[in-house]
Amino acid sequence: MSTQPFSPDDPQLTAYALGELEAAERAAVEARLRDDPAARAAVEAIRATARQLETALAAEPLPEVAPVRVAPRRSLGRILRLPQFYYATATLAAACLVVLVAVRGPEANRLAVAPPVEPAVLAEETAVMAKRERAEPAPAPAPAALARPAEAPQLQEISAAAVVRENEARAAGARAKRAQIAEFKVDAEKDHATLLGNAGSAARIGMKAQRAPVAYGTKATFGLVADPGMNTETYAYQAETGFVEAAQNPLSTFAIDVDTASYANVRRFLNQGRLPPADAVRIEELLNYFPYRYTPPAGSDPVGITLEVAAAPWAPDRRLVRVGLKGREVTTGERPAANLVFLLDVSGSMNHPNKLPLVQESLRLLVARLRPDDRVAIVTYAGSSGLALPSTPVVRAAEILAAVADLRPGGSTNGAMGIQLAYDIAKANFVTGGLNRVILCTDGDFNVGVTSEGDLVRLIEEKAKSGVFLTVLGFGMGNYKDATLERLADKGNGHYGYIDGKREAEKLLVAQVNGTLVTVAKDVKVQVEFNPARVAAYRLIGYENRRLAKEDFNNDAVDAGELGAGHTVTALYEIVPAGQVPPGGAAVDDLKYGRTETGAAPPAASDELLNVKVRFKAPAAEASERREFPLRDAGLGFAAASADFKFAAAVTSFGQLLRDSSYRGAATWADVTAWARAGLGDDAGGYRSEFLALVAQAAELNRANAQ
Amino acid sequence: MANDQPTGKAAPDDADVGFLERTFKEQQAPLTRYAARLLGDADRARDVVQDVFLRLMRQDHAEVAGHAVEWLFTVCRHRALDLLRKEGRMKRFEEGEMERVTAPEARPGHAIEVAETQASVLELIGQLTPQQQEVVRLKFQNGFSYKEISRITDLSVTNVGFIIHTAVARLRTAMAAQRP
Repeated sequence: MSTQPFSPDDPQLTAYALGELEAAERAAVEARLRDDPAARAAVEAIRATARQLETALAAEPLPEVAPVRVAPRRSLGRILRLPQFYYATATLAAACLVVLVAVRGPEANRLAVAPPVEPAVLAEETAVMAKRERAEPAPAPAPAALARPAEAPQLQEISAAAVVRENEARAAGARAKRAQIAEFKVDAEKDHATLLGNAGSAARIGMKAQRAPVAYGTKATFGLVADPGMNTETYAYQAETGFVEAAQNPLSTFAIDVDTASYANVRRFLNQGRLPPADAVRIEELLNYFPYRYTPPAGSDPVGITLEVAAAPWAPDRRLVRVGLKGREVTTGERPAANLVFLLDVSGSMNHPNKLPLVQESLRLLVARLRPDDRVAIVTYAGSSGLALPSTPVVRAAEILAAVADLRPGGSTNGAMGIQLAYDIAKANFVTGGLNRVILCTDGDFNVGVTSEGDLVRLIEEKAKSGVFLTVLGFGMGNYKDATLERLADKGNGHYGYIDGKREAEKLLVAQVNGTLVTVAKDVKVQVEFNPARVAAYRLIGYENRRLAKEDFNNDAVDAGELGAGHTVTALYEIVPAGQVPPGGAAVDDLKYGRTETGAAPPAASDELLNVKVRFKAPAAEASERREFPLRDAGLGFAAASADFKFAAAVTSFGQLLRDSSYRGAATWADVTAWARAGLGDDAGGYRSEFLALVAQAAELNRANAQ
Repeated sequence: MANDQPTGKAAPDDADVGFLERTFKEQQAPLTRYAARLLGDADRARDVVQDVFLRLMRQDHAEVAGHAVEWLFTVCRHRALDLLRKEGRMKRFEEGEMERVTAPEARPGHAIEVAETQASVLELIGQLTPQQQEVVRLKFQNGFSYKEISRITDLSVTNVGFIIHTAVARLRTAMAAQRP
């Protein structure tokens, strides 16, 4: 078997990509492709181009043609009735529009009875008649029908309305046909994935019967159980940052993060009876999963801020500071019209009840929450990328839902190509002043394609400048690429959520739909200045991959997090009060020339604990605005703190225990439960009660692991 | 797409009438569009298509079974080229022809919505040679296989494969270059 790499100029590659090879040749090409990633990429690119050509050419208008009926004519043969016959006779018969007249008229009879044994006569006469007809002003297209004279009266009923119906039927037929063709392709690509030995896809593809929509919802039909042993999920390493001395580094700067994916992902692990890997636990995302009752912004500001300080429950001699941001609430009626482009991964790896069917369910939920003047388009990507639904106003929801129902998984993934197309569609339908957003739904398995992850991120970064925002919704498990998705959302001015079930879909796409869609402020950065007179050392909990250099705070060119309408963002600082020795001891010598790094004079005995500065930009603005909020410490104990504060502390402690953090202090699983209970509040949505169940589950798993 | 897949859009069934009616309904417009491109004239294209269908009616169905659509395109092409030859003008794809052929009202909503992407793709297709355009359209618009295109156009299968390969490669490069 030849393993020589393909030349890009080999027409066989194109023939293979387009499914033009015979089985034997196809097998030979596939064998060669196995060791030829460049050629595989070329095949994907050819398919993508083919798909684009098909889409563009399908849009080329068809010429106007009048509908025609064919009717049997005894045993003699067939008669085809062309509109031109009718026009001609109709002219002679004083423009009568009833077919029956044409059939009964002498001329018509001559045509109709033209014996099939002498077909040439018919053809010639046709030409003559047709020519004559064109000399006349063309009448409105009328139905033309012909049958045995005995049957003719029945045709009298045909009216202009029938023509319209017929035209519609034809258009529908053409659509159905295209859909069918697309399906063949999907099949072929699925086979291809299997043959290529793509273990991930092959394992998930399973029986053909799975493609039947009815099988999607039922786990049992899949016989596919998550195998804890086989797992290719990836998570970026999260280094935990330690305490920083306030005297040396009084400034702590970070970009906000409204992502919630980590919580849903952790929940998925625990519900499956596994402890999540430490790097899958991002404490800020656990914290931000829950809504908190923060003060709404004052006036027309898009961002409000709430500060609170009390004892840290896991280390009572330390202080815990909560910085809470809240985006302005926007109702569905108030928000601008939305132009949404869904970019759906329909690759073979999405063929799982927790993936594509859940995506479809989520889309249905979202469409129901949109306004009639919003627009939705659907771009799919698998082996080739395509437009499953052109941008369609929600007033035509039936079309959108039909396109959603038609989605089928198959093929391998070329995310880059799909992203490109999705942004193109979003740009083509750009709503000035509106919500222009690409919503990527995927398991993140970008394993095929010409684009490396770095290129993909750069592509997204570039596209984000066009004013189109990105939302990333992660689905599924097994080969979930968390790190890629988070980076994409981060670079694409976006928001990243993980949907592990219908409940989560409801939270993101129904209860918080405006937060998911409407960005009230972008590039939101927080800088906290600690007063060294009050603070010996501090530690920002979580936000490991969101930290900024202190200079970045005032640099508007530095990208930061976006805040959705009504979103709350919470950051916690653990503080070692002045006079205590920070854990790990004083690692740095005192400065010789100044108390602070910048050489500024020490603050004149301020009693403030810290000063929080927030910078944000209006969604379309280039320049940022700045707000400041000082905080004094009244020395409250943990028991006196607010319910939200207690709950946030519990969630943080939960995350630190899951990560087995060296800063988890004296906390135990029982403590976490107790603190969360104290912070339950009215628990709108039941999210906090669910958290309690997760803590119990984690405690149980931990106990089992320890034995 | 597997090779044994019926790439033609209709296969004859037992009921001749149903078959004719369906074939006509499905193929009249695509055939007219194809003929109009060859002839550069939508009116004469309609004449040719009418003639082609009359021939189909006279044809023994057993002979066209399974490849009726291919048969229609083949006959249509021959008729169109005959006509051009008779009139002594083999020049096709004249300037401005695209505008005359296209009927902007045919599928209004759809055309407008994806206009930006698709117009640019169509423009690029318009820059291919007439032969490349014809083959590309037969492949990607009408869904014919290489073999079917070979029979319709009297080109060898290898030749069709080469033309499509070259055209797709050229379009791929051009489309990539267009991206901002």
